[in-house]
Amino acid sequence: MIVYRRISQGLFLLIFCFLFVQTESKGGDELGYPVKIFLDFDPLLSFAAFLSSHTVPSGFYLALILLIATLVLGRAFCGWVCPLGTLHTMVSALKGKNSPARWYRVKYYNLLFIIAASLFSLQLAGIADPLSVLIRSFSLSVYPAFNYAVRGFFDTIYSLDIPHVVNVSELIYRGLQRTVLSFGQPVFRQGFLIGLIFIIILALDFVDKRFWCRSLCPLGALLGFVSRFALLKRSVNNACTSCGRCQKICPSGAITDEHGNARIMECLYCMDCDDLCPQGSISFGLSGGSKFVAMNVGRRNVVSSLVAGIAAVPFLRTTPISATNRHNPKLIRPPGACEEKEFLKKCVRCGECMKVCITNGLQPTLVDAGAEGIWTPILVPKVGYCEFRCTLCGQVCPTGAIQRLSLDDKQRTKIGLAMIDKGRCLPYSFALPCIVCEEVCPTATKAIWLESTLVADRAGKKITVQQPHVDLELCIGCGICEKQCPVLGEPAIYVINSGESRSRDNQVLLS
Amino acid sequence: MDRRKFLKSALLAGAGISAGHGLDFLIKAADATDAVDIVAVRGTSPTAITTSAVAALGGMKRFVTRGDIVVVKPNIGWDRTPEQAANTNPEVVATIINLCYEAGARKVKVFDRTVNDARRCYEQSGIAASAKAAGAEVTFIDNRKFQDIRLDGLALKTWPLYTEILEADKVINVPIAKTHGLAGLTLGMKNWMGVMGGWRVRIHQKLDKSLVDVAHVIKPALIVLDAVRILTANGPQGGNLNDVTKLNTVIAGTDQVAVDSYGVTLFGRKGEDLGAVKIADSVGLGIMDLSKLRIKEIAFS
Repeated sequence: MIVYRRISQGLFLLIFCFLFVQTESKGGDELGYPVKIFLDFDPLLSFAAFLSSHTVPSGFYLALILLIATLVLGRAFCGWVCPLGTLHTMVSALKGKNSPARWYRVKYYNLLFIIAASLFSLQLAGIADPLSVLIRSFSLSVYPAFNYAVRGFFDTIYSLDIPHVVNVSELIYRGLQRTVLSFGQPVFRQGFLIGLIFIIILALDFVDKRFWCRSLCPLGALLGFVSRFALLKRSVNNACTSCGRCQKICPSGAITDEHGNARIMECLYCMDCDDLCPQGSISFGLSGGSKFVAMNVGRRNVVSSLVAGIAAVPFLRTTPISATNRHNPKLIRPPGACEEKEFLKKCVRCGECMKVCITNGLQPTLVDAGAEGIWTPILVPKVGYCEFRCTLCGQVCPTGAIQRLSLDDKQRTKIGLAMIDKGRCLPYSFALPCIVCEEVCPTATKAIWLESTLVADRAGKKITVQQPHVDLELCIGCGICEKQCPVLGEPAIYVINSGESRSRDNQVLLS
Repeated sequence: MDRRKFLKSALLAGAGISAGHGLDFLIKAADATDAVDIVAVRGTSPTAITTSAVAALGGMKRFVTRGDIVVVKPNIGWDRTPEQAANTNPEVVATIINLCYEAGARKVKVFDRTVNDARRCYEQSGIAASAKAAGAEVTFIDNRKFQDIRLDGLALKTWPLYTEILEADKVINVPIAKTHGLAGLTLGMKNWMGVMGGWRVRIHQKLDKSLVDVAHVIKPALIVLDAVRILTANGPQGGNLNDVTKLNTVIAGTDQVAVDSYGVTLFGRKGEDLGAVKIADSVGLGIMDLSKLRIKEIAFS
């Protein structure tokens, strides 16, 4: 069974990585692969988003399938499928001695906290959901670092320019570019922080094997709860000699004593104990189900978790940003994003939109959207603008926090408005010609128009320049003007979120 | 018959039919015994008019020698479709590539430093597909391949330019004719912005002079100006089909200034109306005055 389990884990990890790498534009309008399918199958994300926003995410029914599968097969998802679980299996292999489960109850408190908060409209599931953690960490940190390392390696060989060697290395490099590397070098603010958290999550496996899975994972807790009722049951027969081997190898610490007794909710269904038992006394089957240990998560702790989840709602909401998003003009959400309150209820911070963003402009927030909005996407035009004919972020969003828009709708959706800083603008303040913002403005009738004006230079010489103006009716706030403005540092034209289609009140124009 | 030859003959056959007179254009081209400076060909098939224009200048063999590495430089700057006329017509590009291979080119390379996302530009313009089908090596810009080039020009002292275009045996410029907020129009010389590295938007402060400076170091063997569709407003990226006018024309020549000067007339203006053309003429890069040029105009009915 161990071999089959490893094949299954490896296969799902490979599929995950393949779909992850495919979460990138090839130049067409669609990606062509179901890149968010893992998230679609995730019941925690679906239900948390459902509880908080009262809308049914697109993956809701797939998530139900996973729950039904768990009702049959127990937590087999954790043991056989979950790509983060597989990484933990790999890291845990480096830890020698197994330890008993100590903090396994914590994950149930995490789950209860998340559910209670979601019920009261605060949706934080994505922060701790394993698939969200994995995709976010990969997208914003691991994959960019991997790209940087590989590029750096081949660029160094390229710059050394050793004959023959370069030909070979460039051939390999091109092969990698076509397969596993990203099109450009991805860059993310907080890449370091998110990477550090990810490393800590993995490093905890040296404290206890599969520490995350046994102690922290709220999805594991949810599936564990369901697996109490699973048809497939683990049983130990009387042949057991109480040698205690199964207890030593149990990766989740579910087996509580040398007699092979286990907490059923903790069992990952990896079936290693079945394989290893010298007496063959452990088996998984539809009948039986003897010897499982009752579990007490503690009534007081359950109540505390629920109360904490509810209390988190006012705690995180009493900020000016929550009152109205007018307080942060740089809170530019992707096109198709729901109205801010609704958006926060739905966004599970998986980072798919940031991974797929064609210009790298979508970046994770830290406090820009309040504590509640941590790691949600905002457009930072200085890093990358919103490409006029691209609709990818809406295509990959698993919960509809960013609605999938048709190309026509996308091109009409305002995410903000461009404002000109005349004090910095070359034709306004320095008598220098420049039309770059107008040139790159993508709307069919350009939102930026030019006014020929006679200005004087220092010597009093009259020069005709074309001064840009923004037509607020036409501007969609894509930010290409800000990105391309030759005035570096603080560009002379910049986007604010006022005027965004998704908001009723954050409007400049009377309409 | 290999793929390239098949595609070529298929294209030619298609062109012949759409021209309405079978292989008329080949006969017309064969008449061009006298040397000419500029050819303007009008007709409904981009392939046919491009082939005819090159033939009228003496055929591609005049410009490409057997074994040459040729860079064909279209404008792929924008994430727009061919109908929107922001990028060079993909059929015109493919035809030039086919003619290069027919003349014995070893390799034809196609690239452009785009303004919008390169993947989308290459794909949506139709140029990546058509150029690849014609057998060209289509690559995205590799930032390691820019090199500071001493220009000592009117505006630019040095600027990073793309080494692949400098190292090519022959360069063929295949721009599209469009309006532009500052330059007035973007034609051939403006297309060299696509091989400029660095923070190139700065050159708009002295755009015309900068373009002439760059045009001085990139010497195209041939320029084929695509005016199959032109943008008459909201250039250079357009997006509104009402701004597109179908002229069904290509203009070809070997003098960058002359081709641009003629190109200006498509918009009802004169060469001297365009700063870059005027400056280029004054520094002797080419000839602006159309009355001094031998111009051949061919029209397929």
